[in-house]
Amino acid sequence: MNGLHGIIFSYERRNDLRELGEIRSAASLPFGGRYRAVDFPLSSLVNAGVTDVGVVLHGRYQSMLDHLGTGKDWDLSRKRGGLKILPPFNYQKEWGVMPFRGKIEALAGVRSYLENIRQDYVVLMDGDLVANLPLADVLEQHIATKADITVVCANDSFTIEDGTYFEKDETGRVKEVLYHLQTPRGHRSLETYVLSTKLLKKLVDECYAKGQFSWRQDVLLAKKDELHEQCYIWSGFATQMRTVKEYYDRSMQLLDPAIRKELFTPERPIRAKGADKASTYVGPEGCCVNSLVAEGCRIEGNVVNSVLFPGVVVEAGAEVCNCVLFKETTVRKGAKLSFVVADKHVEILEDRTLMGHTNYPIVLSKGTKV
Amino acid sequence: MKKECIAMLLAGGQGSRLYVLTSDVAKPAVPFGGKYRIIDFPLSNCINSGIDTVGVLTQYRPLELNGYIGSGQPWDLDGSTGGVHILPPYQGAKGGSWYKGTANAIYQNIGFIDMYDPEYVVILSGDHIYKMDYSDMVARHKAAKAACTISVMEVPWAEASRFGIMAVDGDDMITEFAEKPKEPKSNLASMGIYVFSWQALRKYLTEDEADPNSENDFGKNVIPAMLNNGEKMAAYRFQGYWKDVGTLDSLWDANMDMLSADSGLDLTDDSWTIYARSVNAPPAFLGAEAKVTHSAINRGSDLEGTVENSVLFTNVTVGKGAKVSYSVLLPGTVVEEGAVVEYAILGGDSCVVGKNCRVGGAPAEGEDKKLAILAPGCCLAEGTEVLPGIMLGKNGEEVSR
Repeated sequence: MNGLHGIIFSYERRNDLRELGEIRSAASLPFGGRYRAVDFPLSSLVNAGVTDVGVVLHGRYQSMLDHLGTGKDWDLSRKRGGLKILPPFNYQKEWGVMPFRGKIEALAGVRSYLENIRQDYVVLMDGDLVANLPLADVLEQHIATKADITVVCANDSFTIEDGTYFEKDETGRVKEVLYHLQTPRGHRSLETYVLSTKLLKKLVDECYAKGQFSWRQDVLLAKKDELHEQCYIWSGFATQMRTVKEYYDRSMQLLDPAIRKELFTPERPIRAKGADKASTYVGPEGCCVNSLVAEGCRIEGNVVNSVLFPGVVVEAGAEVCNCVLFKETTVRKGAKLSFVVADKHVEILEDRTLMGHTNYPIVLSKGTKV
Repeated sequence: MKKECIAMLLAGGQGSRLYVLTSDVAKPAVPFGGKYRIIDFPLSNCINSGIDTVGVLTQYRPLELNGYIGSGQPWDLDGSTGGVHILPPYQGAKGGSWYKGTANAIYQNIGFIDMYDPEYVVILSGDHIYKMDYSDMVARHKAAKAACTISVMEVPWAEASRFGIMAVDGDDMITEFAEKPKEPKSNLASMGIYVFSWQALRKYLTEDEADPNSENDFGKNVIPAMLNNGEKMAAYRFQGYWKDVGTLDSLWDANMDMLSADSGLDLTDDSWTIYARSVNAPPAFLGAEAKVTHSAINRGSDLEGTVENSVLFTNVTVGKGAKVSYSVLLPGTVVEEGAVVEYAILGGDSCVVGKNCRVGGAPAEGEDKKLAILAPGCCLAEGTEVLPGIMLGKNGEEVSR
C-alpha cells in the first residue's frame, strides 16, 4: 500500500527537565497553553494523510496513555489501522528495569508490529518534537530523490542535549553524522526519518542480530556511505525541549505572532484533547497583556508575558510575569511570580513571592503548595 | 433495549424572534456563552442527570444542528445502547407530513420511543439556558404517582401574565393551567419541561392526533386534556437560573449574566459541566496593548484592542485601538483597528467590522438599550456607521424587526 506509516518514540526520560520530567516522558510535556508535545508529531502525521500510527512506550507512560486515549482526538480511532500503543511486548530484558538503549532496541521490542505495517514507507519521529512538519512534502522529496533514508533537520546548529547533527554536500546528501559535540555544527537533526518499510525491517534485524542498538551510530553513521541518506531542511519553528531552560525559552517564543502563525497554520492544524471548561474570564480589575490564555481561566490580577493553561486562577492583586502556568494552577491574592514554570494543580498562597531568572526559571512540581 | 427514562428534545423551531441569527440555523444551534450552543444545555443536563438516550426532533434548517450533534460524542451520548438520535419528519407508505406541533412531533416518533419501552419520557426544548437535574424531577414524578409532572418556577407577579401559569394545591399538584392569563391565580410559570408516564402520554397523543380541531401542541392541547380528564399532574419547583433566550434582548442578557456570578448562571462548576463540541484552535492571545476587562474570551482569538463587559466567542479578532463594550461577538467575528462596537450582537462567521466603523451605542440615561445586530457573514466597509437598534442582514441590507 502506498503511503506513510508513523512510529512515534515516547520512551525517553529527560533528566534535565527537572520536576517537569518526574511524572511524565518528555513527549507528554504540556506546551503552548493547551497542547502536549506529542500532539505536534501526531498532528503532523494526520495532516499528511497518515492513518496508522504506532507509539512506542517504555516506563512513566501513564500520563501518555491518559492523553492518547483511543486516538479519536486525532481521528486515529479506526477499525483498520489507527493508533496503536506499543509497550515493548517482544522485549527480552526485564520489564521496566532498563531503559531502551536506542531506537533499534525499541523497534526490536515491537518487531512483530513492524511485520503488519500496511504502508510502503515509515516515518520515525520523537514524541517530544514540537514542530508543524509538512510530512507529505518530506515523503514527496524522499521518493523524488530516491533516497534510502531522508533525515529531517533544522536549518541551524542550535545546541540541544544529546543532539545529533548532519553535514551535507551541495546535493543535500548526508556527508557526516555528528553527536557528542562540544560546539555543534551542521544541521540539527529533528530526529524524524523517512525510509521504506522494507529497509526498516532489514536494518532492525541486521543490527539487533549484531547487538547494535543505536540508530544514529549503527545505522546513520555506520552506513552513511553504503546508504543514500538525504537531508530535508525545515526552516520553521522546531524544538526538542530537553532542558527546563529550553522549555521555558521556547514557550516564551510563542508570544511572537510570526511564530504562532507558522506553528499553528490553519492549513495543518495542531489537534489536541479538549478541556470541557467554560470561557476564560478576565475580571473588572484584571489585566492580561502579551499572553497566551487557554480556556477556563479566571484572571482578576495582572498577567504579563505568560502562557496560561486551562483553568488557571489569578486572584486580585496577584502578579504573574514571564511565567508558564500549567492546568489549574491557582495564584492567590497578592502573590507575585516571575520566571516560574508551575506544573498542574500548583497553589501559590497569598502574598508569596517567587522570582526565578530568565537563565534559571523556578519549576514547581505537580500539586505543590507554596 | 428497555430504558427507564428517555428524553425527547424539541429542536425544530425557527426562533423567528432571533431574526438574522437564525436565518440559516435552527434556534438550538445558536451560539451561547462564548463556546456553547443553546442545545448544549439540555443535552448536558441529560447526561449529567443519567439520561443516556435522547431523541432530537429537528425540522427547521437542520444542517448545522445535525453536524454539530454528530455522533453525540462530546456529550458522552454515543453509547451503543442509546445515545443521541436525530429525528426529522419522514415519509411513510401512506405519505407523511411536517411536524404540525410539539405534540405531533412526539406522536410521529412513537415508534422510536416504543423501541426503548420507557416508563418515563422527559420532554425538553432547545431554547432555554439552565442547569437542571432531571432525575430529581423524575423522582418527584414517581413519588407523586403522577401521569405528568411540569417543572415550574416562581416569576414576579407583574410578569406572570406572560407565561403559562399553574395553580397548585397544598401538595403542589396542579389544579389549573392557564396560558398567558390576564389575571394569574399563581406566579408559578411553566418552564416547558415535562415528565410523562409514557403509557399515559401515548394514549393522549393518539387521542390528540385523532382530533381534527387540535393544534397538536403540548401547552394548548395535551396538558389541558389531561387536566380535564382528572389525571394526576404534579408541579416540580425549580430554583436556580433559567432563561428563555428566544429574543435578541434575552440572548444578550443571558450572555451578560454569564459574566456575573451573582446572576446565578455559573458555568465553571465542575460537578455539572456543560459540554460542547469544541473548535480546534490555539489559545487566545492578548496583545501588548490589549485591555480586556469583565469579559469572556475563547480559543483562537487575537485581541489587541479594548474589550469591556463583553462575551467573545472563538476565533474573534479585535484590532489595535478598536473598542468593544457590552457586546456579544459570535465565532469568527473580526473587529478591525479603530472600530467601536457598543451594545451589539455581531453574528460571526467572518462578520467583519471594518476600520473605524461605529456599531451601536450606549443607551441614554434612563432609556432601554437598543442593540445593534449584524447577521453572520455581514461585512462593513471602512468607516461605516450602524446606529443603535439597527439590524443588518448578510449582505449589509437593513432588516426590520
